[in-house]
Amino acid sequence: MNNDLRPPSTVLLADAVDRVLRKSCEYLSWVYAILIAVILLQITLRRGFSAGLIALEELQWHLYAIGVLFGVIYAQATNSHVRVDVLQSRFSARAKSVTEIVGILLLAMPFLFVVFIHSLDFVAESWRINERSLAPAGLPWRWLIKSMIPISVGLMMLAFINNLYRESVLLIRGNNHGN
Amino acid sequence: HAKPVLLKTPIAFGSNLPALGTPITWVSEQLPLVSGGQIKMKIYEPGKLVAPLEILDAVSSGKVNSGYSIAGYWAGKMPAAAIFSTIPFGPEAPEFAAWMYYGNGLKLYQKMYDDGGYNVHVEPCALISPETSGWFKKPVNSVEDLKGLNMRFYGLGGEVMQKLGVSTSLIPGGEIFGALEKGAIDATEFSQPAIDEKLGFYKVAKYNYFPGWHQQATVFELLINKDTWNGMSDSQRAQISTTCKASVTNSVAESEYIQFEAMKKNAEVRGVEIRTWPKEMMDQFRSAWEEVVQEQRKDPTFAVVYDDLKNFRDNYKLWSSRAFINRD
Amino acid sequence: MEINEILIVAMFASFILLLFSGFPIAWVLGGVGTLFAALAYMSDMYLDTMIGIDFNSIGLVVSRIYKIMDNWILVALPMFIFMGNMLDKSGAAENLMQSFQELFGRIRGGLAITVILIGIILAASTGIVGASVVLLGVMSLPAMLKQGYCKTVAVGTVASAGTLGILIPPSIMLVIMADQLALSVGDLFMGAVVPGLLLGVLYIVYILGWGIIRPHSMPLAENLQPVTWRVWVNVMRSVLPTLLMIIAVLGSIFTGIATPTEASAVGAAAAILLAWHNGRLSLKVVRECLHNTFSVSGYIFAIFIGATMFALVLRELGGDEYIESFLTSLPFGPYGIILFVLGIVFLLGFVLDWIEITLIVLPLVAPVINALEISINGYGVIDQPIMVWFVMLVAVTLQTSFLTPPVGFALFYLKGVCPPEIKLGTIYRGVLPFIVLQLLGLTLLIMFPSLVNWFPAMVYGQ
Ligand code: NA
Ligand code: NA
Repeated sequence: MNNDLRPPSTVLLADAVDRVLRKSCEYLSWVYAILIAVILLQITLRRGFSAGLIALEELQWHLYAIGVLFGVIYAQATNSHVRVDVLQSRFSARAKSVTEIVGILLLAMPFLFVVFIHSLDFVAESWRINERSLAPAGLPWRWLIKSMIPISVGLMMLAFINNLYRESVLLIRGNNHGN
Repeated sequence: HAKPVLLKTPIAFGSNLPALGTPITWVSEQLPLVSGGQIKMKIYEPGKLVAPLEILDAVSSGKVNSGYSIAGYWAGKMPAAAIFSTIPFGPEAPEFAAWMYYGNGLKLYQKMYDDGGYNVHVEPCALISPETSGWFKKPVNSVEDLKGLNMRFYGLGGEVMQKLGVSTSLIPGGEIFGALEKGAIDATEFSQPAIDEKLGFYKVAKYNYFPGWHQQATVFELLINKDTWNGMSDSQRAQISTTCKASVTNSVAESEYIQFEAMKKNAEVRGVEIRTWPKEMMDQFRSAWEEVVQEQRKDPTFAVVYDDLKNFRDNYKLWSSRAFINRD
Repeated sequence: MEINEILIVAMFASFILLLFSGFPIAWVLGGVGTLFAALAYMSDMYLDTMIGIDFNSIGLVVSRIYKIMDNWILVALPMFIFMGNMLDKSGAAENLMQSFQELFGRIRGGLAITVILIGIILAASTGIVGASVVLLGVMSLPAMLKQGYCKTVAVGTVASAGTLGILIPPSIMLVIMADQLALSVGDLFMGAVVPGLLLGVLYIVYILGWGIIRPHSMPLAENLQPVTWRVWVNVMRSVLPTLLMIIAVLGSIFTGIATPTEASAVGAAAAILLAWHNGRLSLKVVRECLHNTFSVSGYIFAIFIGATMFALVLRELGGDEYIESFLTSLPFGPYGIILFVLGIVFLLGFVLDWIEITLIVLPLVAPVINALEISINGYGVIDQPIMVWFVMLVAVTLQTSFLTPPVGFALFYLKGVCPPEIKLGTIYRGVLPFIVLQLLGLTLLIMFPSLVNWFPAMVYGQ
């Protein structure tokens, strides 16, 4: 008999990594509160006064972009990505683990790898020319927002490696216990 | 003998837009005929493969082997790029072509890309006539009326408007009509009458101003990845250059031809009032532009290109101010 | 079939197949795209094709992802999600439920009608199906079952009223469709008003009719109170704040204070005010809303980036031309082609969510529809009347697909909050009549395009 009362799916290290990712994303989710404020500010400025709006306009999609990119990681760390689970819900735990592992290795990782590798060039190019907004009154440092792609995709890959580790441990554990 | 080439060409303007998109369609139809099938061009509508603002990077890195756009789209990477598509109070089409092909224009154009570290060969591949100066909901009689106006305005012309107290924004093409209609903006600039017609501005903004001081002529470019370009035979390269030069002629003709029809309809059927900027306002636009130039000159390449163009234009004026009958 | 045509068909087939592995849709899309890019590369190497995909060229996917980030219209996405979340927490719906129930208590099916009306109001304040279905389910299912409502009627009403949110503006789906097809968000929002209300009316008529045919499937409540002035006042007091919020959003679009994109933030702020008004606002609530918005916008964005990889490879394989030439070669005539496309969308709706259909299918068929020779009255105001009308047909079809098994998102959300005695089979049977009603609504829209285009034309006309 095992006197550990935690559910058998607990893989300590993997859960810890997920927890860190989740916490960081939760702090980051305040970008949306800032976004609301920025848009209201812009409407006020435009209707009331007439100040430099292009930078604010651009700031909006910068905030949105940070939100959605890191939202992907949050969705992953909280396991809330959309799945078609009509069949999966009937799989055994073992089959579920195998599907996860195969899916990560065959589908998610190759795709994210392609995006990650090419995004490095993409950012380097922007950095090389110190790219800024096309609009002279727009925001500088375009490479900064562009670099959110490799950073977030890198973290997505990390989250997947973490998942891979968890599922492998679960699979092996399942075998050890003979069911 | 070189192999047949397929140019995969993402474009920055929909091929259905007259003068903006139609010239490259014409080029793609002519190239296989001219080359006896040695060059083919497959056009990808804006965003289908890659978004307009990403075309330069995509061509330079060889992700696609060619692309069609305007240099002004790379102003965020190289401020001087704006000059090669259009600048406020810039040259008209024939003068622009003179500087480009016989002055230093094309050399500086290619040099800008080379110095900027872009692996592309550039061909001017269309040249179109002036734009309208914009669509306003209320008449503008002096620069006082511009103060506090919300207007969609692109590029360096937008800077000029800012200097005059306009608050400009860069609402994307698809949202302009809605924003204008609902009053989120009071005025907009987009393109030529025959093109603006397609976006329906005449329905909600009844004052259409001329001349389009911010954009007297616009050069469009065909970018070809340099490795692809160097891999072609002399004959293939000549076929592309010559077809693009023919397209310059073709697009000048097309864009000159299609405008009056739209203007006639605007004035006679759609209740649009077509107006001309008074001389004093033109002078104010011009002096605001001089200020903007001084700011832009901080970029060394911009200064070099601008000075070359200015030098050419000063000389050209000797000829043009005497050679042409004043327009009335 | 040529090799790249085989690859196109195989790509779609593997996507659908792999979907059922239960692996997240976003990564199935991106993964299948990547795998087929590799297959296309090998085909060029060994099978003498000229597709021209290699490791370098699929790097375009990064530019495409950046383009989805650099998108002013999509800023509305998290804002509307936040607004829906905050509304959910604001307690506004509970207030509505209670007061409407007092008002309609004497009518047979009154409780069901209440659910439908609240569904409409929720729909007009947010654009999120999941939130509406869950909220309606939690609030009204126990009450309906306690009152003795037939289970199928109860769950059918909740599921279908909850899905109105995707159609009635503001709607995230319409924002994304406008973005994909370069249409005006305003035209689509206004175009969806009449179709959305039409469906609501059809539901109510059905409930009233069914109440007459099968009275015991929806019994009246016991110990009914008379409808006094006090009841009316309660209704007004509960409706007013929510109504103000709806007016804040749609009104700021109408009056031009804000663009539809900016109006989304006005709505988000208004929802915060509403929660504050109801005494439900706290740091904890704000935090929960932000977290949920972060997660939902994240998984939608993940599907965006997966789909953009899929679409890139599909395009390089010539998928656009293949599907376009296939559709135009159909011997059906313009209306036949539209019906065919809607049929495909409906069938795809059995396995796909609206996001994938909007991102992948809609751009593929749009050029064909745009070129059809149908004259749809745009009243001289709407720029692309055919497309606005067609998008609305697709929207209603997609809305139906929320309710169709096996993958009906509304059904899953509902199952999550149902009492355990309600089985998935009961839900399937319950939504059946509503699917029929939606198809009826769809037919009306096809026959009378003015139902879509008249309203935006009137709103925007001089
Ligand atoms: Na809605
Ligand atoms: Na479905």
